[in-house]
Parts: sequence; C-alpha cells; structure tokens
Amino acid sequence: MQDVKRKYVIPGDIVAEGNLRALVNVFRNGNSIVATRIGITESNNEGAKVIPLSGIYFPRANDIVIGKIQDHSSLSWSVDINSSFAAHLPAQDIFGRDFSPAHDDMGRQLSTGDVIVARIAIFDRTRDPILTIQDKDMGKIPTGELIKISPTRVPRLIGKRGAMIQTIEHASSTRITIGQNGIIVVSGKDKEGITLAINAIHIVEAEAHTSNLTQRIKQLLNVPESEIEGDDDSQTSNEANETLSSDEKSISNNINSEMGVVNPNGSK
Amino acid sequence: MVQSRSLIDEKGKRSDGRIIDELRQIKINVGIIRNADGSALIEFGKNKIIAAVYGPREVHPKHMALSDRCVVRCRYHMSPFSTDTRKSPAPSRRETEISKVIRESLEPALILEDYPRAAIDVFIEVLQADGGSRCAGITAASVALADAGINMRDMVSACAAGKVDDKIVIDINDTEDKEGGADMPVAFMPNLKKITLLQLDGELTPDQFNTCLDEAIRGCMKVYEIQRSSLMEKYFGDEKGLKE
Repeated sequence: MQDVKRKYVIPGDIVAEGNLRALVNVFRNGNSIVATRIGITESNNEGAKVIPLSGIYFPRANDIVIGKIQDHSSLSWSVDINSSFAAHLPAQDIFGRDFSPAHDDMGRQLSTGDVIVARIAIFDRTRDPILTIQDKDMGKIPTGELIKISPTRVPRLIGKRGAMIQTIEHASSTRITIGQNGIIVVSGKDKEGITLAINAIHIVEAEAHTSNLTQRIKQLLNVPESEIEGDDDSQTSNEANETLSSDEKSISNNINSEMGVVNPNGSK
Repeated sequence: MVQSRSLIDEKGKRSDGRIIDELRQIKINVGIIRNADGSALIEFGKNKIIAAVYGPREVHPKHMALSDRCVVRCRYHMSPFSTDTRKSPAPSRRETEISKVIRESLEPALILEDYPRAAIDVFIEVLQADGGSRCAGITAASVALADAGINMRDMVSACAAGKVDDKIVIDINDTEDKEGGADMPVAFMPNLKKITLLQLDGELTPDQFNTCLDEAIRGCMKVYEIQRSSLMEKYFGDEKGLKE
C-alpha cells in the first residue's frame, strides 16, 4: 500500500504543501493545498484530498440513488433525490422510444409519493440530473421504512467490502437498500428487526469517525462472539479507504439482493 | 461621538471588569439544531446567538436562482426578548442592513460556483444582545456553514475593536458601544489573511485606526481558535490533532 498521510482539518487548513495535485474538497492557494470542508485528509503520490464528514448530497453520474416522485409533466417525472437539484426521469425510460403522452398514462406506472431506486444517467451541473431505472433491480420500492442519513456517512454504513451493512442485515433479518444520496429503505418481516436495524444505522451515522465500530455494532446486535472477528482495528482508516468503486459495488450487491424491487418493465 | 463619563477605571479595568486587550468569554456549541444542515450557538459574553444554515437547496422563487453560482440569503434578527425594552419583531432598518453586511462578509469565504442554481440560507437569531452581536453572528454563521459542509475557502472570524477613554480596546460591549468614542467591527479570514467586513462608527486618527485594525485582527485570531476547537470537538471528539 502507498504511504498515505492523514489528519483532521476544517475549512482553510493546509492539507499539503508542494507540487501535489488538488483532488476533491481542496483548492490550491500558492504553494499549498487548502481544505474546503471539515474532514480527514488523504495525501499520497496521486494528490491531496479531503474526505468530508458533513454536507448535502451532490449528484454524480452513475450514482445509485433513492428518490421520491414529486410530480410529472407530460414527458418526465420529477424526483426528489435529497439534493439541491430536482432529478428528472424521462417517460421514455419506462415506456420506450415510442412513448406518446396522448396514449400512455404516466400515472399508472409511477405516481406522486412513490419511492424509486434509480441510477443517475447524466449530470453535469449545467442541467438537472437525468435518472434511469433501466438497470437490474431498479424501479419502484413497494414497502419499507424510509430513513435519511448524512450522505457523507454512506461509505461507512456500507463498510469495508459491505461488512457493516451485511452485519446489520444478518443480525436483524432485514433487507437494506442504500442510496448514495443518504436515503435508505429498510424492509423486513418483523417490526423488531426493522427497529433494530434502524437503531444500528443511526449509531453508525453518529459514530462514523470512531474506530472499532463494526465490532461495537455486532455487540449491539447480539451477534455471537465467535462471529466477531478482530479484523476491525483500523476502522477509521477503512472509512477513508472506501473507494467509490467498492461502494458502488456494495450498493449494487445490496440492490440485487433486494427481493421486493419490482422492475416496471417486468410488470408492464 | 462625545464620551460623557469615564469607562476605564484607575486600575485599567473596563465597565465589565476586563482589561483593554481582553475578550469576553466565548463558547460555541456546534450542531444544536437538528432540522438545519448546519448550526451553532455562540455565547459571546452576554450575547447569545443561534446561527442556522440550510442548503444548498433549490431556490424558490425560481427566478432568483443564478445559473453559474449559488445565492446566499441571510437573515439577522433580534428576538423581542433580546434587549432591555421589548424590540418589535418586525425587521427594522438596522436588521436589514446587518443582514446585508453579514451576507457580504460571508460570501468571499464560500465557493459559490460549486453550487449553481442553488441557495444557501443563513439565519442568525439573537436571543440576548450585549453589543457586538453582528461580530458574534458572523462567527457563529461561519461555524454553521462549515458544519453544513459547504465548500469554503476559509473560516470567517469577527471581532470588534474601538476607542474608549482615548484608548484602543478590543471587543466592545454594549455600554462601550453606546457611550464610547468609536466602534470598529472587523471580519477576517484567518488563513487567507483577508478582511471581509470593516465598519467604523466614530472618529479615529490614522494612527488610532491602524492600531484599532491590528487589535481587531488579533481578536479575530483568538475567536478563530475557539471556532476551530468547537468544530474539532464536535467532529473528532477526543481524537485531536494529527493521525498518521
């Protein structure tokens, strides 16, 4: 592994000095790279960046998000994705290219208040994000408890290769669908399991930066001792290590395991 | 402004017992409002002020949105019970003006180009006022903005300096503001070393002005240390400092 230097910063603090690349949540001021957010710095040969600990969701292409249908025009649904931009889901995405507002009834497919899992197909800051549900196991979520956490805690909730979320799912016998925008759907058969999972998620959110978190969550969920492994000592650094690609993989794994998701194409 | 009585006694103590280069007690609590994206409660001597930040969020009405950057909307408000005699809750001329100068003192620190077509709302509510509430408001708002995770070039720290009994003093309180010779609130970006607000009420000679500005900036640096430690405490708790 490369030599990575970390420290805690607030906006205005110097992350690194010298000829490094300024990656995310930093800017260059003369010879130094300065943090723009509260978080943990990470600087190595590739450049310097800050992993933020607070903030709202800023969309990125290919993120998997959970959103609520707000309204629809004759050509698209507008979806609240917990961001400063309202996302749009084009009607052609569901009805196909021969969609005609005169013949197809959009309200029959998705109505106001429906919750969907979708992928951000296009986004470039100059226009609102465009969603798609044309991927495996995306579309309307029929049941479940909706909870909101800070989007900056999503990588921690998923954990190293999905360790944290799998632990919670196993112990509470629930299915948890996570959107990168901090919206989570917990579904399961019994109320106790769902309550337990929600409590665990809130604890992860509140204590995301602390070490040994997976182990403490296992204790909370009464996972037998034999299943508690000692692989969790450097959890704080694991949080920082969560790369996006591994997050997305874990998310899609979770979504794949989401039994209740109805594919609107299949139901048509 | 003509000063009618002495505000510094023979021992060099001011009306509230401080010496001339002493700040009031400052305490900042971060994240006290759950519904806000970022918030802070500042206790600056007898001042008690809440700052809450919402956003970046969609702009309503939509015509206010700017296509290339974010708009900042700021509301400074004194609650009716914040002063000795009841203050009308309707926004006064003074509050509208302070809202504007606070917004302009925070904007240089924010990277607004990162959030096109969005708005950031900053609410500053004065619960108890004792002079220097705009400085305390800016200080709290800056902490709340950082807590909200908005991209910032630097923090903004604010502190006033002024003239009392022909002496330059730091952190003017209510009595000194009303009866003293001059009051100069300054907001400062401590790492970039740039001034974002400078107002002056009263008269100062060029020399006094320079000393006053230096003292105010020194006060800002002290305020910055408190902002810093309060944010560090909220986000990192006991785990302070460097981690390799």
